[in-house]
Amino acid sequence: MNAIEVLSLTKRFQRKDDGKKRPFAAVDSIDLAVEEGELFGLLGPNGAGKTTLIKMLCTLILPDEGRALVNGFDIVKEAEKVRASIGWLHGETGGRALYWRLSARDNLRFYASLQNVPPDFAEKRIDALLDFFDMTEEASTLVKDFSTGMKVKVMLARTLLPNPPILMMDEPTVGLDAATAVETRKLLKALSTDLGRTILFTSHNMFEVERLCTRIAIMNSGKIVAIDTPLRLSEITKEIKAVEVRISEIADAKILDLFQGFEGVQKVVKTEIGEDYSLIQVQVEDEQKAIATLPEFLQEKGLNVISIQRALPTLEDVYMKLTRKST
Amino acid sequence: MSVSSLLGLFREEAPRLKSTFRQIYAVVWANLMIFFSYKYSVITDLLSMAASIFMYFFMGLQVDPTQLSSRGYGQSYIAFALVGVATSQYLWICLSRLSHIIQHDIRGGTLETVAVTQIKMGVYFIGQTIRGYLISLISLFGTFAVGLFALGVTLQINVYTIATTVTTFLLMIVANQAIGFMTAGIVMVYKRGDPITFILAGLNEFLSGVLYPLELLQQFPIVYWMARMFPYTYALDAMRKSLIGGATILSPDVYFDLTMLIIFSVVLLPIGLKVLQRGYNVIRKNGTMATY
Repeated sequence: MNAIEVLSLTKRFQRKDDGKKRPFAAVDSIDLAVEEGELFGLLGPNGAGKTTLIKMLCTLILPDEGRALVNGFDIVKEAEKVRASIGWLHGETGGRALYWRLSARDNLRFYASLQNVPPDFAEKRIDALLDFFDMTEEASTLVKDFSTGMKVKVMLARTLLPNPPILMMDEPTVGLDAATAVETRKLLKALSTDLGRTILFTSHNMFEVERLCTRIAIMNSGKIVAIDTPLRLSEITKEIKAVEVRISEIADAKILDLFQGFEGVQKVVKTEIGEDYSLIQVQVEDEQKAIATLPEFLQEKGLNVISIQRALPTLEDVYMKLTRKST
Repeated sequence: MSVSSLLGLFREEAPRLKSTFRQIYAVVWANLMIFFSYKYSVITDLLSMAASIFMYFFMGLQVDPTQLSSRGYGQSYIAFALVGVATSQYLWICLSRLSHIIQHDIRGGTLETVAVTQIKMGVYFIGQTIRGYLISLISLFGTFAVGLFALGVTLQINVYTIATTVTTFLLMIVANQAIGFMTAGIVMVYKRGDPITFILAGLNEFLSGVLYPLELLQQFPIVYWMARMFPYTYALDAMRKSLIGGATILSPDVYFDLTMLIIFSVVLLPIGLKVLQRGYNVIRKNGTMATY
């Protein structure tokens, strides 16, 4: 059964352009189905329509056309039942959407009451969630005195507290420290695989989407331009030709510039710096030629090439390719 | 706590405890906590309330008492002003509290986070309104206490006048809250509503005769008839006639005032609720429930 089903969903807003109001489609006739228990990623550049789509599914924005069912309920006609089925987090707010003059615990108690969570269950879950996010000692501190990351932790706890079957997580790891982000990802994965919760997840962090999600949709200009598993999406970039070069120097801007002198180099796309090596990905016109002749070229420039191989495409490559192509 | 322990807790399904009363209580309680977290603001509010009463007391020494007694309001200006000043805080709360809090919620993003929960927005708005009424009780009783015990104002206090005043007061709240719902609905859509509510409440307070008998306006017919279009005018008249003149619900003047308040309530309340609902639907349509 599908937990989320979207059929030709459209939302238009007015945008001022040269002093005149012009309509534009923030979400343009989207079709989407997310299965029960799936951890589904939604990727796209700023303004792609991800947040508008999620807000429509959360009943916060009314669609202009089309239809969507969340947990089997219509988002317009059965908005109350939809709200009883979901938890929503908008990480981009950076903790603004909390009551800053209430403590972390009081914020959670307040939302537990609004979500109809019985008081005894609420207290148990609040204690557990505060503990999980390492916030027990700050439970009585007013939210206004928290850092952005701590506020996001309270927002995460608030979203998870009613234990809904569907979670709409719009950039849930923004502002979190690395350790908490890792634990949060583990928790979301476990909620999906062990408890069968459906999670719609957006992020600008390709790495976490690639690792976490079973399927991914890439949005651009209000449309879904690709939808598949991370592995299959990577195949889209088969025609991207790139090689990965490992050198024993620590690459700086000057070293990266040296690569540009090689014939057929299109882009030096990324580097990974280790303690005594650098990994550089170079997009080229001809992979075979690059593998055969690039090491010699670099050695002439004084660099020590440890290895060179064909680069496997990443989700980031897919994302860049698809969002660039459709703009 | 580990991921697996947390999962263990979430395996236990909790039945949802649907209770509108608990939700209203939560909204009122949270907002009272927020109000009392501004300690200096509470103290300055109380000081400014006491200062305004003393100011009216000294102003009252300059007023000719025969102007008041001929209208059935007794001979003490300070008693006259006391009823107006004590209840005017409620007028402001009815007219502007909801629009103010909605603007605040829209700017902060909290309206969205409440709207996505299981509370009905009408219930949330009622909770916010009740919080305003409760806080204003401090000002209402404080003002009367200063008048009665510090300035020695004499009021007609017995079961009948209290019953009359409370009835009038409740009707005043309903009628003015209906206007407050309308302004909140408009503010939700246009976002910058402070000038509207300020003008409306200020005009209402000025014309309804908080500080002077309405009959003084008779030489300005347009203004006088404008004053007659505000429910607060009738509420003030009835409460003064009762608390100062000793009139009861059955006294013809008070009876007329109460009838007018009932008519205002019956006509304005459905309109106010409709405008509020419409405003909420418009921001859902426009996607402007948050402007952070």
